[in-house]
Amino acid sequence: MAAIASRRLAKELKEIHTQGCPVGIQLLSADNFEEWHLSLEVMGESQYQGEVFALKFRFESQYPISAPAVQFIVNERYTSPVHPHVYSNGHICASILGNEWSPVLSVIGVCVTLQSMLASCKKKERPPDNDRYVRHAPDNPKQTRFHYHDDTV
Amino acid sequence: MSSREPMWYCHECHAEMRPIMAPDPRCASCHGTFVEKIENPQDDPREFAMHGPGGDDVPELDQFVMGLHQLLAHPRPRSPTPRPSSPGTSPTRSGVRIELSRSRPGAGLSTFIIGGPNTLGRAPGDRDRDRDGPHLPGSPMFMRRNSGDRDPDNAIAGNVMMQYLISMLSQRPGQRGGDPLGGFGGLFGPSFGDMDGGRWGDYVFSQDALDQIMTQLMENSNAHRPVPAPEDVVNKLPREILEIGSPLLEKDCAVCKEQFKLGTEDPDEQVVVTLPCKHPFHEPCIMPWLKSSGTCPVCRYQLVAQPSQEHGPGSPPHTGGSSGRPGSPPNNRSRSPGAGGSGGGGGGGGLLSSLLSHLGGGGGSSGQSRSQSNANNNRDRDSEHLPGSWSEPVD
Repeated sequence: MAAIASRRLAKELKEIHTQGCPVGIQLLSADNFEEWHLSLEVMGESQYQGEVFALKFRFESQYPISAPAVQFIVNERYTSPVHPHVYSNGHICASILGNEWSPVLSVIGVCVTLQSMLASCKKKERPPDNDRYVRHAPDNPKQTRFHYHDDTV
Repeated sequence: MSSREPMWYCHECHAEMRPIMAPDPRCASCHGTFVEKIENPQDDPREFAMHGPGGDDVPELDQFVMGLHQLLAHPRPRSPTPRPSSPGTSPTRSGVRIELSRSRPGAGLSTFIIGGPNTLGRAPGDRDRDRDGPHLPGSPMFMRRNSGDRDPDNAIAGNVMMQYLISMLSQRPGQRGGDPLGGFGGLFGPSFGDMDGGRWGDYVFSQDALDQIMTQLMENSNAHRPVPAPEDVVNKLPREILEIGSPLLEKDCAVCKEQFKLGTEDPDEQVVVTLPCKHPFHEPCIMPWLKSSGTCPVCRYQLVAQPSQEHGPGSPPHTGGSSGRPGSPPNNRSRSPGAGGSGGGGGGGGLLSSLLSHLGGGGGSSGQSRSQSNANNNRDRDSEHLPGSWSEPVD
């Protein structure tokens, strides 16, 4: 892990510990600088009231120059939210995780954005190509080049 | 075997039988559907299973694929060549053909013919010689000789099909996209490591395979990939060495999120690069970024024109946006609460308002920038489609 990545992540972690996370976001685990887990809950009235999701962040040595690989955790405990930009395998089609990533973004910044994405959802449905995508999806969502043009959801 | 009705061979239970026609041929003893008519008694399909390069412990299918592989590795010569006297010992034999009959429920009987007819590059007497000679171990037994009555034009189609089949069978597990035959890859993967040279995946014959191709195409598409800043642009950026009293010492580098300070361990961190949008960064922080994307991390000012972004090149910096917590994103345009978003509640408040102002064009400075890049914008919206979908290029 490059020095810049671990320094940045250490700083983010310290901030989480000292300032806490925004409402609805909790750090589940951050035992190293390669993979962190956070839980995500949409506060207030929304389609996802009462649902708690978990996000997995995977960092490369080029973080924050390269975006973290972010996906919803799908296991016995957590499911992927039913959302037009979230595939049932937990992969997320979000431009900020792909070609609109900026090193200014952070783990918490991504969580907040995804929280907002869920909060503004009006209709719970899977992406139209969910089945096809999930069948052939790579393990790492960063290997998928999503098309993002829909700003309305 | 004097009967005019040929016997059939079941590749699943290895029985010789007369099939049940229900209506597709099924093995009379195991009811399997992988049955083959023994049209030529000299060409008993059982030899296929008994002899082969790998010995008895090699699974049948493995031999089959090995044979196909051999066939491809030694393509049929274009002109007649001297042939070894003992047929079957040379993998370069010309005019091989494989016929597989397989019935599927509801789909009727399908026959795969692999390889070309034997009419090219063969002396007329060859066929008889082949029939007479015993098949030696080591030769692909399943390379049925053509009975000679086929249309020679199917040679190409046969080869394509064969290549496709092999490429499917030899897929290694763990390869992206999975294994279309579900598990066969594990059997054959290691022995076919040298297949990377061909482009056998160019032809697809099933929806599944097509999906996979589409996925690959999408992944390789770089239409929306950020454009790095050209070297000369990067070299011309103003650099400043930090010194006592510099106003920069009160600012942060947005990449590492550290305040600029004197006397750092790394002397490179004394060098501050300021982008045309006036955002300052440590030189070692911003350089790798500009090599991947020629934009300002904070305001996305474009040092070089970027594909399908909302802002045209050189659009004024959008400041005022990331006023919330230190980690707030600058102006991510999608995956954010859209127009009329019900509000994220909780900690996203500052971020939300900045996003909304950006998206809705309501904010002062951002509104201006949007109107300047309106043409660009409309074009972008015209080609709107759902994320993650495989859509045709619109323009």
